[in-house]
Amino acid sequence: MKAFVASVEDVFREASARWTLLAYFALSSLFILIFAFAVNLDIVDGALAGAKLFGRSVEFRGGSVDLDRLVLGFESGFSAFLYLVGTFLAVFATAHLVPRLQEKGTVDLYLSRPVGRVPLLLSRYAAGLLLSASNLLYLIGSIWIIVIWKTKVAHPRFLLGGGVILFAIAALLAFAFLVGVVTSSTGVSIMATYGVFFFSALLAGHDRIAAALSKEWQAKAVNGLYWIFPKTAELGQAVVAFVSAGAAPQRLQQSLNVWPFATTAAFGAACLALASLLFRRKDF
Amino acid sequence: MASAISVSGLFKRYEARFGGISILALDDVSLQVEAGEIFGLLGPNGAGKTTAVKILLGLTHATAGEASLLGVPVGRPESRRRVGYLPEGHRFPGYLTARATLSVFGRMSGMSSEAIRSRTEELLARLRLSDWADVRVKKFSKGMVQRLGLAAALVHDPEVLLLDEPTDGVDPVGRREIRDLLREEAARGRAILLNSHLLSEIEQTCDRVAILRKGRIVRAGRIEDLTRREARYRMAVEPVDEPLLEAFRATGAAVERVNGHLLLSVRDLAHVNLLVDRLRAEGRSLKELSPDKSSLEDVFVDLVRSGGETGEPEKVN
Repeated sequence: MKAFVASVEDVFREASARWTLLAYFALSSLFILIFAFAVNLDIVDGALAGAKLFGRSVEFRGGSVDLDRLVLGFESGFSAFLYLVGTFLAVFATAHLVPRLQEKGTVDLYLSRPVGRVPLLLSRYAAGLLLSASNLLYLIGSIWIIVIWKTKVAHPRFLLGGGVILFAIAALLAFAFLVGVVTSSTGVSIMATYGVFFFSALLAGHDRIAAALSKEWQAKAVNGLYWIFPKTAELGQAVVAFVSAGAAPQRLQQSLNVWPFATTAAFGAACLALASLLFRRKDF
Repeated sequence: MASAISVSGLFKRYEARFGGISILALDDVSLQVEAGEIFGLLGPNGAGKTTAVKILLGLTHATAGEASLLGVPVGRPESRRRVGYLPEGHRFPGYLTARATLSVFGRMSGMSSEAIRSRTEELLARLRLSDWADVRVKKFSKGMVQRLGLAAALVHDPEVLLLDEPTDGVDPVGRREIRDLLREEAARGRAILLNSHLLSEIEQTCDRVAILRKGRIVRAGRIEDLTRREARYRMAVEPVDEPLLEAFRATGAAVERVNGHLLLSVRDLAHVNLLVDRLRAEGRSLKELSPDKSSLEDVFVDLVRSGGETGEPEKVN
């Protein structure tokens, strides 16, 4: 356990020393600043001032909208953007963890200690997730606080939606680790993981794609791939549906079921298990 | 009681991928290193030295054979608990200070914070790094990084040390200090396996050596035994002339003149004494007489050349 914790700490120390942590949080801070600037625009201030004068409704597109609902709508929409930004930043900031460990002259130093290979790999995975979680908390937490400060409306679901984003990151990071173990390349890990993200999103329309294909085996292959790959599109919709607390359209609400989560978890677990197996068997 | 390092019938074949050539890196290697012994592993580039050490540490998997450290089969993390390793070309994180480096690797070896603190001070002082304790490793010279590597290998007070080119990049004073340190560790009962190209270093430090060529141990033993040449003596006489040489040859000795010395090949010690008697009878003065020893380098070069130009591993289709 001591070695596991030491390895996790080492990742954080490395991240801060190599500017990764700083760049990661600086980019998040930039989003937060842009958001803070946007909510301080006169138009927003005016609408909110009106809401304070005339109860809890705001003039919006010629009609009157309840402030609570307006904030909920904004937060659920913005959570989709945060899902994209959060996962992309997380993959970018953590994909180097395995390739750098496997560098000649470095891997010898770590593996010559009385630490199993699998615990060493898992400690870096845990460190990557912790790093991502802390950044997500900073990013989403800051926006949540700004919204509360401006509107006095607090929706804990917006904050908790970060859990779904972290779940998607966990699956993608497992895939990045698998690619890292096989190729020892940070660049390939990042590109392959982004590739999986987009390819999986494309597969969300597997029904329509399969219907357009002329051969049955091709249709079966597309449907099979859909079930194998993580459900990046559905998870994005699930974040929105979760944050909106039932106010989102029915199409999005359907994503909030067990299958996208179960199949994505299976994909992540399989990637991590395969990465562990290959890392254990690898000659350095 | 189990040997500190035990290797028996070790084979390692790097399998070919995509139709390439597979390489037999280790071919039936067996060796034992006992506590308190410094053992040198020699060989030309690609002879299999580093592969052997990596198998001992579980960094590489053996194709066949057995190896253990302090009686624990290699591959289990437990086998590395009491082992210190200094790899060749190690890359300690440049962002860590010397103190933090020892702390990270001490903790990874399961040490308590208190034990790490006291051991760190001791080792930094012993390796002349105390003034650099809180400086980042990226500012260190090559020799300093090497000394830090040795400190990291020793931080958990291991019973077995596996060192790959430990004096690489270290100045002569530092080399002497490292040699002394290794001698001290051996005197404390530590088993040390030294992997080096610097044969003079090995000769001055090791008790026994094994020479690897193409993955096979072609010679092993104590350095005195490997470097001794049977029944050859070096003699300095004054004056040397042809009648004296003829008198020596008449006894059956082979005589060569080399750099002002006579190199004598004789049957045995009695034969040497006979030559000394002849010398005196001829009224010559004996200035020096010593057994002729070859250097470890001579032995090494002879062995490597006898097996072909290089000691690189066999390629197997």
